Amino acid sequence: MPVINVDADELRRLTGQENKSEEELLDDVFELGIEYEGETEEGDLKLEFEPDRLDWLSVEGMARSLRYHYGEDRGLDVLSMNDPEWTIEVDNTPEERPYVTGAVVRGVDLSDGVLDSLIQLQEKLHATMGRGRAKGAIGVHDLTMLKGAPLTDGAEKSIRYTSMSPDERFVPLESNEEMTPQTVIEEHHMGSEYADLVSGMDQYPAIYDDIGLFSFPPVINGQRTEVTAESRDLFIEMTGTDQWTIDRMLNIVCYALSARGGHLEGVRVSYSDDAPGEYAGAQVERPDFSTKIKTVSHDRIETTLGVGLDRETVVDCLERTGLAQTVKEDDETGAVEYEVEVPPYRVDVLHPVDIIDDIGRAYGFNELEPRYPDVATVGKRHERSRLEDAVRETLVGLGFEDLLNFYMTNEAENYERMNLTVPSTDDASAESNENAVVGDDEPVTILETYSEEYTIMRTWALPSIMQVLESNTHRAYPQHLAEVGLAMTVDESENTNVAEYRTVALAMADTEVSYEDIRGRLQALTRQFDATLETPPTDHPSFISGRCAELVINGTAVGVVGEIHPGVIVDHDIEVPIVAAEFRLDALQ
Amino acid sequence: MQLPPTQAAVLKAADAQTKRDVTEIAAETDEKPESVTRAAFELEDRDLITVSEHVEVSVELTEEGERYATESLPEIALYEAAVDAGAADDPVALGRLIGDAGLDGDAVDIALANFARKGYGEVDSGEVTVNPAVTSTEDAEMAALDTLVEGGSIEDESILEEIDRRGLVERSERTVRAVTLTDEGITTLMEGIETTETIDRLTPDLLTSGEWEDVEFTDYNVEAEASEKQSGRKHPLRQTADRVKDVLVGMGFQEMQGPTVDADFWIHDCLFMPQDHPARTHWDRFSIENPGKIDDIPSDLVERVETAHHEGVGQDSEGYHSPWDEDFARQLALRGHTTSLTSRHLAGESLGDLEPPQRFFSVEKAYRNDELDETHLLEFYQIEGWVMAEELSVRDLMGTFTEFYEQFGITDLRFKPTYNPYTEPSFELFGRHPETDELIEIGNSGLFRPEMLEPLEVDCDVMAWGLALERLMMLASGAEDIRDVHGTLVDLEFLRTEEVTY
Repeated sequence: MPVINVDADELRRLTGQENKSEEELLDDVFELGIEYEGETEEGDLKLEFEPDRLDWLSVEGMARSLRYHYGEDRGLDVLSMNDPEWTIEVDNTPEERPYVTGAVVRGVDLSDGVLDSLIQLQEKLHATMGRGRAKGAIGVHDLTMLKGAPLTDGAEKSIRYTSMSPDERFVPLESNEEMTPQTVIEEHHMGSEYADLVSGMDQYPAIYDDIGLFSFPPVINGQRTEVTAESRDLFIEMTGTDQWTIDRMLNIVCYALSARGGHLEGVRVSYSDDAPGEYAGAQVERPDFSTKIKTVSHDRIETTLGVGLDRETVVDCLERTGLAQTVKEDDETGAVEYEVEVPPYRVDVLHPVDIIDDIGRAYGFNELEPRYPDVATVGKRHERSRLEDAVRETLVGLGFEDLLNFYMTNEAENYERMNLTVPSTDDASAESNENAVVGDDEPVTILETYSEEYTIMRTWALPSIMQVLESNTHRAYPQHLAEVGLAMTVDESENTNVAEYRTVALAMADTEVSYEDIRGRLQALTRQFDATLETPPTDHPSFISGRCAELVINGTAVGVVGEIHPGVIVDHDIEVPIVAAEFRLDALQ
Repeated sequence: MQLPPTQAAVLKAADAQTKRDVTEIAAETDEKPESVTRAAFELEDRDLITVSEHVEVSVELTEEGERYATESLPEIALYEAAVDAGAADDPVALGRLIGDAGLDGDAVDIALANFARKGYGEVDSGEVTVNPAVTSTEDAEMAALDTLVEGGSIEDESILEEIDRRGLVERSERTVRAVTLTDEGITTLMEGIETTETIDRLTPDLLTSGEWEDVEFTDYNVEAEASEKQSGRKHPLRQTADRVKDVLVGMGFQEMQGPTVDADFWIHDCLFMPQDHPARTHWDRFSIENPGKIDDIPSDLVERVETAHHEGVGQDSEGYHSPWDEDFARQLALRGHTTSLTSRHLAGESLGDLEPPQRFFSVEKAYRNDELDETHLLEFYQIEGWVMAEELSVRDLMGTFTEFYEQFGITDLRFKPTYNPYTEPSFELFGRHPETDELIEIGNSGLFRPEMLEPLEVDCDVMAWGLALERLMMLASGAEDIRDVHGTLVDLEFLRTEEVTY
């Protein structure tokens, strides 16, 4: 969740609540859904909120919501702006990053921490809506350092968003020498952080003015147009993979700078004919401060909140959230609807249901009285989970400790330490594996693993039990352990290409224990499920040859039983004999 | 005649003329006195011997008695010191005499009390005079102590009572049993006896043959600790899961099952999670390398889901401005939440189309590629529940959860509005810890968004919530580190000794 650092005095100034104590201020923001997470070393408040209200990424945005909440502001906050003087020409951009937007802000005072606040907003927007600059990247420039190129169509000044040749050179931020884009990516400490975003591109994105290259989005800006606390006029550009997203990011930044006294001025974006989709050859003016309408019926508000509300209450709730509404009443049915106008900085409102949530928050959800829904249904357990439970109960009755192990494991534990060879993923050899034994099925493998300990899903549960025995050699024997749990293997006949099955594994470790001890338990278990048990001899690498049998339950081979091979026992640093068995749960169905 | 070994030994040791003490026979036969006594009574029952009893009194010196016997009685020490100091003629200061006699502590009071009682002299205003007419060498109590040390016995009952009162001796009484051979005993001995064995274990054979009547059982030490037996037990986390299932079934919920490895389509896309949502990046999720993809997902559903992502559903709805790729939706992953079961059920994939009202739940594992710490594992159990009805409100949601958590002693539920991509309104649930009274987060909930429900062709309301089972278990059991509980590093001692919950 986003956390931003806010100077408490700043918030007081911006909300006109100079006399509020810090505690009162924090109570107020909590009511909006913003939580206090502590203080920074500089004494700023760390405030955390959910990643929907991205307009709160700026202290100015939080202050706006507070003023509505206090009832000091009413009505929709839609910014005005001057006509554009500047144009961004878009031409021959890398196809991976075709969109751009921009605005000019004049007369903003960036001293007294305002610049830091702007930089924080920029970084937080990158991390959230901008998806780590991949979807949208922001560049803020000192307008006075830009020299607009004269335009053919008569507009006075223009910059150009395009691609650059790999030989292009410019001086990036925090550097004193000219670099090629390739050097920036490979050697510049900030540039290399974003190398992945452009590494696959044939040509790198670039922004030029009449002097030359001044920005290499989304990687780094040039030093020439760097913004300082003394800068007063700014040029803001954003590039990205989605026009809507960068336009909304721009709105949030413009609202923040306007709250600092900046005067907004539009920018023309002139797309060439090879721009994608609806933007081919399009001329658009940005920022886009158009509002949107969400129509919500009074009835739906009442059914969702579960209370009857009068219109005045609904209207009051809407206004305290910074929304504006027109109330409509159907002449015939008397049904009431609210046409709610949503301001351009609210990037989170997707559907009328979001308006209902805003009304609920303003009303106070905790004001609502819980009631148990008057809906009758019949509860029941899943049949398989009942079977699983019954087997577990029986095993516990036979003296086994019920275990609950991880289903993620690795090849060493699942195969090698059990004396099995890791199955080849090569299809041909997998299918010809006629000597298949319990446990050596093809594993489901995990792509980006947390650690080398968890690289596959287990194909059987006995290795997990061996691990538990291994980590408990200091505990009293006998150790009779059992697990009824999940295992899985690759299986192309399944919808997910994975066969997931419940498996029953049991082991008895003691100074004296032998084959008949485990067979006796299996006899008891199968009898209780009215199943027949046969144990024809077989060989399995995890067990002692001649003391190992196939488990045949109700005539079907479903598992294995035997005395664990001394090599396996010793490999697990265990010093007592172990007898064990494993079989498919559904054999007892 | 056949007799058990102890009885045979006692019979042989008994005499027709002389009474023989049980202790004596015990020493002679190397048996325990109580075994000999038991054998003697058993032989008397067979009329082979008679057992007579008398009470014997024994007197033993206490520790204090022993000390006075070696040193001297304190009053004698005082008397002798006084005589040496010339107190027969003139009174001597008590303080000086105490020092001379080497008395201290309790001994001073003991000396003074008995000095006067025995008429050794007088103590007045801190001065001591002695009576020259008595001599300390004739002290009867001292003589009695000496006698006892030498192993003699005291005939004079009044002296004995006096030293007993002073705590110098301990008197005890015991019943002494002696045996005499009867005529029948003599006959039996002459006819000869055979010894039966002592029996360690009672066997079915002994019981059925009636032989048990003639055998003797070896004595066991019934107070000794035995090696402890381990009972099998259900895993504590499973016990908590069982309880949750009981509660939910009782509230009318039906259990869901479904795949652990599932397509992102069911895990995320059906839940209106944009494909570029941070939770869907490889950092949080465990994607599956082999097999890579799901085969079939219903193509009409895919179309509806994609449209909902791009355009939203119904009037005034706009969807996301995020890429949507069917190929990505088909990729397999370990489910990051069990809400994938909910989406499969709502889509009619699991049990066919569902008509309201319905209540469903599951308590199954989910997987998160996240930091490991005392409350977080890569694998954890998620409690998932949802209710489908024609019309549901926030109040119904609150009422359901209030009821559920009350079963676990968690009251005073608070609903903090929050954000989830697939629910609106959404709430984090907070409740009071039953033990510590702290306000703690206990779950996440909400009403499913229309953008999720409409593509699944659900045209009524559905509310849902989720909670980590481990959290509930730790609340209920007080376990502090989940890593000790769940997984192959489990300590069997914990499983064996953890208090049963019910």
